[in-house]
Amino acid sequence: MSIKFKVPIFDVKNLSYTASGQEILSNISLEIFNSEYIAIIGPNGGGKTTLVRMLLGLDKPSKGEVKIYGKRLKNFKEWNKIGYVPQRASHVDANFPATVLDIVKMGRTSKRKPFSRESKEDKEAVYDAMLKMDVLDLQDKMVGRLSGGQRQRVMCARALASKPEILILDEPNTGVDMVSQKRFYALLSKLNKEEKITIVFITHDIGVIADDIGRLFTINQKATICNNPKQALSCEDMSKLYGIEAHLVHNHKHGH
Amino acid sequence: MFEIFEYDFMQRAFLAGLIIAILASVSGTFVVLRRYSMISETLAHSALVGVAVGLVAGFNPLWMAVIVAICSAWLIEYLRSAFSLYSDAIMAILLSGSLAVAVVIVSLGGAFNNSLFSYLFGSILSVSVEDIYTIAFFGTISLVLLLSFSKELYFVAYDEEVAQTNGIQVRFLNFLLVTVVAIIIALSIRVVGSLLIGALMVIPTIAALQFRVGFLPTVLISLVFAIFSVIFGMTLSFYFSLPSGATIVLSVLGVFIISLIVSKK
Repeated sequence: MSIKFKVPIFDVKNLSYTASGQEILSNISLEIFNSEYIAIIGPNGGGKTTLVRMLLGLDKPSKGEVKIYGKRLKNFKEWNKIGYVPQRASHVDANFPATVLDIVKMGRTSKRKPFSRESKEDKEAVYDAMLKMDVLDLQDKMVGRLSGGQRQRVMCARALASKPEILILDEPNTGVDMVSQKRFYALLSKLNKEEKITIVFITHDIGVIADDIGRLFTINQKATICNNPKQALSCEDMSKLYGIEAHLVHNHKHGH
Repeated sequence: MFEIFEYDFMQRAFLAGLIIAILASVSGTFVVLRRYSMISETLAHSALVGVAVGLVAGFNPLWMAVIVAICSAWLIEYLRSAFSLYSDAIMAILLSGSLAVAVVIVSLGGAFNNSLFSYLFGSILSVSVEDIYTIAFFGTISLVLLLSFSKELYFVAYDEEVAQTNGIQVRFLNFLLVTVVAIIIALSIRVVGSLLIGALMVIPTIAALQFRVGFLPTVLISLVFAIFSVIFGMTLSFYFSLPSGATIVLSVLGVFIISLIVSKK
């Protein structure tokens, strides 16, 4: 609980990303610590998704460095500790032959040896992940027939099946209704509080989860780190970030 | 009625056909889900270069086909990663290029005859005992490789990037899949023919997908479809003296159309 605790899960230094001559991200430095709940917001095209992809090694930075658990990204091997839920759940069409159970089981793939049968531990991890994401009743449903909200929870359950220490979620822009969204946020908060899973969450909808998040990163080419999210949600900051007259719905508790 | 099984050549053809139906449908599931259909078509044409070399130089055409198809698969994977933008153009070039090379080799060697025809469209008359051994040997290796990495291949087919962030070796698996597909295609050209094998790989899976069931049931349905089509097609080939590749593909097309109709109800 002493020194080990202080090694950040992600340590990002002076990270830049340039695509076809245009700087998408410039000079980003940030740290993500164990058990944090972090939201990343910013306008479309501001580089949120690119940042996350660089954290995961899916895109290579043009400058700077990412360290995971103190190791340089290319030397990092314990990918099981990291669960990733991408923005587009996948490129896959409605025809993909997978039930919800098939999908969640994928999360165990890298933990199983070739030819091995599913162990008791595998089965429990899959059940547990489905329970936590409240998708047990969907397990025999085909993935192509899920609603946006159900799909989001299923993808999250797949990530949880590998028992990660950190969950990185890139929220879809569309297709998830408000009710499912709130339900999803509630499940995430619970994971963070009860299981101490670190959560990094890219979202457009900061108003809804502002109560729970610990820190807020705003990304629009550059990064601003805010340790008190509720203060950051002033209209002034928002308009700076988005470059427009931001219309912000403050908090769902006030009703509107 | 059952005199068809009394001929030695038919027994050999059925045995070879059965192995190929299993190999083609299991690998075909991954080929379709991974969107590699075009690669399988290209590899089938490259395998012909091996056949041509074998026919002209007097080596075993099946072995030569396996070797050339594997080399071609590796070349495709390399070119795809080096010039990812033009991946379909690369296939088109390799496909017609290798067909041209095969035809030139065969013509120069004076082997442009029935023998080549049987490699293009398949033949039930031509399966030798040696072929059975070759098909069984390479077929077992391919099947073991496919089954031992089936979980990983399935994950990668569904979501390559998430699989990668889970620590799965995506590049290795792509490489493995094209290699196994190359072997299976080369083995199949005896019975199904290089111009028609692509259909036997892809169509049973597409037909099975119409039923919208989970992964394992889909593989099993596609397996049953492929085995049925091969046996039915070979029987047609026997009674009507038609090239077996053509009758097999027509059978599998029939299965596909029926699946479409039944599943839409």
